[in-house]
Amino acid sequence: MTIIEKIFSRAAGRDVKPGDYIWAKLNLVAMRDFGGPNVIQEYEQSYGTQSVFDPDRVAITFDLHIPARNEKVATNQKILRDFARRQGTRLFDVNTGIGQHILLENGLVKPWDVIVGTDSHMNLLGAVGAAGFGMGTTDIAGAMYKGKLWFQVPETIKIEISGEFAEHVGVKDLILTIVKEITTSGALNKAIEFSGETVVHMGLSERITMASLVTEMSGDVGFIVPDERVLDFIKKRAKEPLEKISADEDAKYSKVYRFSVGQLVPQISCPHAPDNVKDVAEVSGVKVDQVFIGSCTNGRHEDLLVAAEILKGRKVKEGLRLIVVPATMEVAREAIQSGVHEIFLASGAVVTNPGCALCTTGHPGILAPGETLVSTSNRNFIGKLGRGANVYLASPATAAATAVTGQITDPRSL
Amino acid sequence: MIVKGRLWRFGDDIDTDQIYPGKYLPLTDKVEMARHAMEGTDRGEEFIDNVSSGDIIVAGKNFGCGSSREHAPVAIKGIGVAVVIAESFARIFHRNCVNTGLPILMLEHTKSLVDGDELEIDISTGLIKNQTRGTHIQARTLSALELDIMQAGGLLEYLKRTE
Repeated sequence: MTIIEKIFSRAAGRDVKPGDYIWAKLNLVAMRDFGGPNVIQEYEQSYGTQSVFDPDRVAITFDLHIPARNEKVATNQKILRDFARRQGTRLFDVNTGIGQHILLENGLVKPWDVIVGTDSHMNLLGAVGAAGFGMGTTDIAGAMYKGKLWFQVPETIKIEISGEFAEHVGVKDLILTIVKEITTSGALNKAIEFSGETVVHMGLSERITMASLVTEMSGDVGFIVPDERVLDFIKKRAKEPLEKISADEDAKYSKVYRFSVGQLVPQISCPHAPDNVKDVAEVSGVKVDQVFIGSCTNGRHEDLLVAAEILKGRKVKEGLRLIVVPATMEVAREAIQSGVHEIFLASGAVVTNPGCALCTTGHPGILAPGETLVSTSNRNFIGKLGRGANVYLASPATAAATAVTGQITDPRSL
Repeated sequence: MIVKGRLWRFGDDIDTDQIYPGKYLPLTDKVEMARHAMEGTDRGEEFIDNVSSGDIIVAGKNFGCGSSREHAPVAIKGIGVAVVIAESFARIFHRNCVNTGLPILMLEHTKSLVDGDELEIDISTGLIKNQTRGTHIQARTLSALELDIMQAGGLLEYLKRTE
């Protein structure tokens, strides 16, 4: 069996195969500050004041419009706080950070878990061998009520990666290349397993970057077998005992892709689709108005460190805005302790409170029509950050190099 | 269940930001949401101004990709669309349709369905009669489990009835 077949077999209480429709037991149900109020509305319309299936297994996170920017948002947030208090669920307020990262840091995610939430990048939990699924409000309301949901067991694509990265080239460049090859619809209704010598050496933040872009290939979930370092990270925080997970030797894959990173050069996803990926060199020189470093894809301390190494002793180009947003408060404090925070400030960047930040319209930092953003996040659809803005997706290194020159820049050329 | 209406044609990879732009996410009223269905597409205004109850959306690959916002199917259903036919649907959008009761059909090749055609569709069997062109096409319906959920009135009703 593949990893998802094993997880779903356990969650369904019987051996399953791809194509089967199952009801799976859930380990955790999460919702956030948008979508969340709709979940509660749906829940209470159907189930009134009935208790959720298990308050310890329901988590509310605040990561999008934080702190509240207007009365509507403030009202939505109050709905969530009141619900959490009434029902006794877990609540992570505006002082914490991006939901999935908060769940990881608080030991609420472990290998074998099936976790659902209102965030479409819940599948980044595959970075620790958990099956995370982003879902709509009705699914989450039903999940909170019953602690189970229906699934169709997906087939699994295997992606084997070999070789060592060249200087200033990293996992974001790799995953963008993979998105280009597989396309935005190529992993539809599929799970992905990333494996190979390159993956084995990846740290947690790199695994998160890989797993988060599975959404952009329309994949259900992307797994990387947790190594000792990842298990240690969880073990220190987990509320429950850990079990290792990996696919069986004879697991069947619907397709196998092989990538080698040795010759890989910096990659960039161009407007307005994540799979419109080119070498950075092909679009270098494009004038940029704003750069965003952060998001659930590239907002960990290791990501900020890569950008800071480039920005150290340099200034952000006059006329360009650089916005840096740590994924979580834990990351923000690491950045202060390591000196990375000071490097950003000295370079002329704006560093804001932890959260999702410039990943969708609604957060400070939105662009005017015709402006161009280079972002380390995961999406560049039309309208994602204001109608008429051009969004490029790149690595923290490319984003930092671009912030220095004011135009799209290959970090190797600085 | 038979529906009849005008066909509205959309392309591949219509994402949820096009179906329901992010700036309307704070809305929680379903009637208000419906006023913005398909607003972010290249023919959003034309669609919103002219769509009638019972009309049909036909799209290419990967309809509903992007974020998990359920506002997308809720708005499409709310504005009166009877069924969405696509070559494929994004996973979350597909689920959201089942769970909220927006009927969908899967059809491998949609090229023969032209914008403005009048269609008559049996949602439970997947038979599409193109009244403008006098042709019949067979589309793929949802699974038995999904149809059960839809027929119960959506996921929340379904879960109430099962233990």
